[in-house]
Order: sequence, then structure tokens, then C-alpha cells
Amino acid sequence: MKPWFSLHRALIFIILLLVACLSLYPLIYMAASSLKTSMEFIEDPAGLPKTLYFDNFKALFYRFDVLLLFGNTAVCVAGGLVITLAVSIPASFAFAKLRFRWRSALYIILIATMTIPGITFLIPNYLLMSKLGWIDHFISVIVIWGVTSIPGNVFLLTSLMRGMPNELLEAVKIDGGNYWHLMGRIVLPMSIPGIMTVGIFNATGWWNDLLTPLIYLQSDATKTMTVAVATILGRFSSDYPLLLTGLLLTSIPPILIYILLQGFIRKGLVIGAVK
Amino acid sequence: MNLAKREHWLGCFSVLPAFVLLAIFMGYPIFNTFYHSFTNWDGLNADWIGLENYRDIFTDGQIWKLLRNNLIFLISIPGILFISLIVTVLLYEEVAGWKFFRSVYYLPTILSAVVVGFLMKTIFSQGGNFNVLLRSLGLESLIVDWLNVVPTAFMVLIFCFYWQTLGQGTLIFLSGMSTITTDMFEAARIDGAGWWQRLWRITIPSLVPTIFYFTITNVIFVFVGLFGLIYSVTGGGPGYETTPIDYMIYLKAFTTGEFGFASALSVVLFAIVIVISWIQLRLSDKWSE
Repeated sequence: MKPWFSLHRALIFIILLLVACLSLYPLIYMAASSLKTSMEFIEDPAGLPKTLYFDNFKALFYRFDVLLLFGNTAVCVAGGLVITLAVSIPASFAFAKLRFRWRSALYIILIATMTIPGITFLIPNYLLMSKLGWIDHFISVIVIWGVTSIPGNVFLLTSLMRGMPNELLEAVKIDGGNYWHLMGRIVLPMSIPGIMTVGIFNATGWWNDLLTPLIYLQSDATKTMTVAVATILGRFSSDYPLLLTGLLLTSIPPILIYILLQGFIRKGLVIGAVK
Repeated sequence: MNLAKREHWLGCFSVLPAFVLLAIFMGYPIFNTFYHSFTNWDGLNADWIGLENYRDIFTDGQIWKLLRNNLIFLISIPGILFISLIVTVLLYEEVAGWKFFRSVYYLPTILSAVVVGFLMKTIFSQGGNFNVLLRSLGLESLIVDWLNVVPTAFMVLIFCFYWQTLGQGTLIFLSGMSTITTDMFEAARIDGAGWWQRLWRITIPSLVPTIFYFTITNVIFVFVGLFGLIYSVTGGGPGYETTPIDYMIYLKAFTTGEFGFASALSVVLFAIVIVISWIQLRLSDKWSE
């Protein structure tokens, strides 16, 4: 039995606490600075705000239309999820449970595409999107996000679906149940945790993404939140409290997702590490 | 149609959409990039110039600076590996509040590189928090303009990288450690093994596959994942002193419109990542034997 208090356990606690402070300090600083005027920030960047000053938030809502930017991001993320899940779920089920020719060869090819750096296909895709007239339309980002995430999602979902009991699937097959019946009644309900995990990873990754939306969505009205903060506030403004307020608002959705759903995130990371 | 044949076609049709989409948006662009790396290309007209782009990349000295910048991040990986391991081992002691600490460490990981980058940029700016802290500690001689001088700009970038990677590291290593049985620790304790001995003889050896996974994902990350951080902290500067390969591809393609040169640089990066993946495959085959 471990004693609940001892000198070396107290020391460990203190070290862990210090690391936690280091992890949290920049976030607290970000929140504190969002309540400062830029004069107050220049005079004392490290201190706590003296008054509660909400003009930074107001400026972001009225001058930069944060709600529109949040909406843009949400539409792109939702569209990307529809594409990637609609394609990845049936493919993963086939790789995990159906017997067909070239199954393992096709699976290896699909997994191998995960190693290709995304920037390799950036230029041709950019030119393709401009030919299609999709630049500055959400569809470009939706398609790129949706398609490039397929290999990773298939990898995760296939390894999870392999664990489904074969007996159950065979029983439905022999009873003459059709494919849609099998999918809707058994495969989808049993895969909900896995689908949640890949969905969370995709959604937070896309919310945080800079390169793809930066290239394809160039006019201010179509930008995603992350890109707008990086380009409008970050590059051209020396008003640090305003910038930090923008960063704070950008961080809220991923932090909320993490706090509410951290079990799924932990599971997803572990699947990657163990396989 | 018999059942096996039906299953065969069902399987083929289930994976078909994935392959069609990947062929259009990944397969075709890669061949396109490869072809255009031998051309002088502005997006509309491409003139075949053979190996000229590659010759430029390797002779004007720029590639060595870009590679140097990637390598600086590469050699910083053992540092965060070590820190993550130590923090994990301490968390494993399950002192009061360890679950809370584990959650807190992951918070920076969930944030965008853009948020982390600009946040650190303000902290390490000339009049920012860090310099204020140094002044209040009486260390005024150490005050510099962190982001506009080379070695310190890298220190800030690597700090951002560490700050975001610690959460990933501890979560992965904790899951790796959950495979070690408490019996092993008890046996070692009875044999009189001290804390350090247990760390080196039991914990680290049984974490080897996880350490390998962590290292490989981060090695690939420093070649393909730094864009957001570089864009927000230094913009690749001063000059090109902190520009890694992927950021240079972006600069060449989307600020100066040298699509052919950027394509050739993409092919070089692609080759580097393929070599790393090949090493990874060979090593993991060796260990699973």
C-alpha cells in the first residue's frame, strides 16, 4: 500500500503543480488581457486587469462579425464531416468484415496515402478549385478536408470495427437481411463511440487548421475564425488585447469539446499508439 | 448470385467512393506536382526546363538553410520526449489530483497552432510578459527582442512545440504504462530495486514501442506540420532564418507565384517523408520479429 503522504510524494505533487501552472499560465494571461485596454496592456502586460473592460469583445462582434466567422467555420466543419463519414464508414466496414478480392492490397494502399505530406497536392488542387470557380466558396474547403481525412479515419474505424462479433453479422446475413438493414441496425449503433472519436478529432483539427482555409477562402466574408484571427488581427494589428481576445474566442470551441468529451479523445490517441 | 460473390461486389462498392475521391484530390495532384517540378510554371503556362528547379534548390544554398531549420526542430524532439516521460512517470505515482493535472496538460494540445503561436508572440515581444518578468527579477542584461534574433527565435518556437506536445506525450505514455503489471513493480521492489532502477529497468524498456510511435509522429510533424506555428510566430524570419521546407513551399507558391520551383521543393519534401516512413517500417518490422 502506498502511504497517502510522504516527502517524495509531496515533491512529486509540487513538480506536477508547477508544470500545470506552466500549461495554464498563457491561457490565463490570454483571458486577463482580453479585459484590458491597449494602453493598460502596454503599461502592464503581466498584471491582472484593473477594470472589467469589454470593448475588445464588442469590437470583435461588431467590427469583425465573429458570429459570421464562427458560422463559416461551422458550415465547413459540418460539410467535411458529412463527406468523410459517408465515405469512411462503409469503407471501414468492408475492410474490417467483408471478404473481397484485393482487400488487403487496397487497405495497404489507402493507409500508405496517410504518409503523403498535404502540401504536395496543394498547388494542383488550388488550380483545380480556381478552374471550378470554387475559390471563396465553402465547397472547396469542405471537399479538401473531407477527402484528405478519409485515410486516417478509415484506419481508426477499421481497427475498431474488427472487434465487432462476427456471429452477430453472420446471423443477419443468413437471415437474408440486406446491407442497409445490417448497417442501420447493427454496424452504425455499435460504432457510435468510434465515429464520435474520429468526428471529434476531425472537427477540432479543422477548426484549428490554417493552411487549407487560408488558401481557398480569401475574401474576408468567407474566412474561418482561425484564419481571420491569423490574417486580419495577427498580421495587421498591433492592438495586442484585441488580438488576444480573438485568440480566446477561437480557443473556446475546442476547449469546450475537450472538457465535455475528453474520454473519446483519450481513446483515439491510444488507438493510434497501440496499433 | 451466390453469397460469396455478393459479398465481393458489396466490398468493392463500399471502398470505391474512397478511392475515386482520393484519386482525384490526392493521386492526380501528386503526379501533377511531380510533372510540373520540371517546368517553369506560373499556374497557366508551363515551360519544360528539365532539372533546373532541382539544380537551383541544391546549388543556391537555400535548401541547406531550410533543412537546417527542420533539423533544429528534429534535434529538439529528444528533449520533449524526456520531459514527457518524466512527467508521465510522476503522474503514474497517482498523487492527489493527478487526473486533474493530466487534463490540464492536454489543454495546450487541443488549441490551434495559430492561437499558441500568436499567444507566445505577444508574451515574447519586446515589451511582453517575459521581458517584464526578467526586469522584475533584476535580469535586465538578458532582455532581448526574442523573435527578431536567430537563436532566441528558435528557442521560442521550440518552447511552443514543447508546450503543445507535452499533453500528447503524457497521454500516450500513460496508456503505454497501463500495460505494465503492478506485479512487475512489486517484484522489483521486493528485489530492492530503487526508483531510478525501476524507471530504467522496467518502465522505459516496456515503453519502447510507445516511445517509437511518439518519436516517429513528431519527426514527421517537424517536416510537414510546422506551417501554422511558423506563420503566426516568426513568419519565417528574420529573413529566412526560421523558414522550414513546408513554409518555403507556401511562400514560393502563394506569395511570389513560382509554382514550378514550389513543386520541385514539394517533391524533395515528399522524398524526405517517404524515407522517414521507410525507416519506420523497417524498424517496426525488426521489433515485431
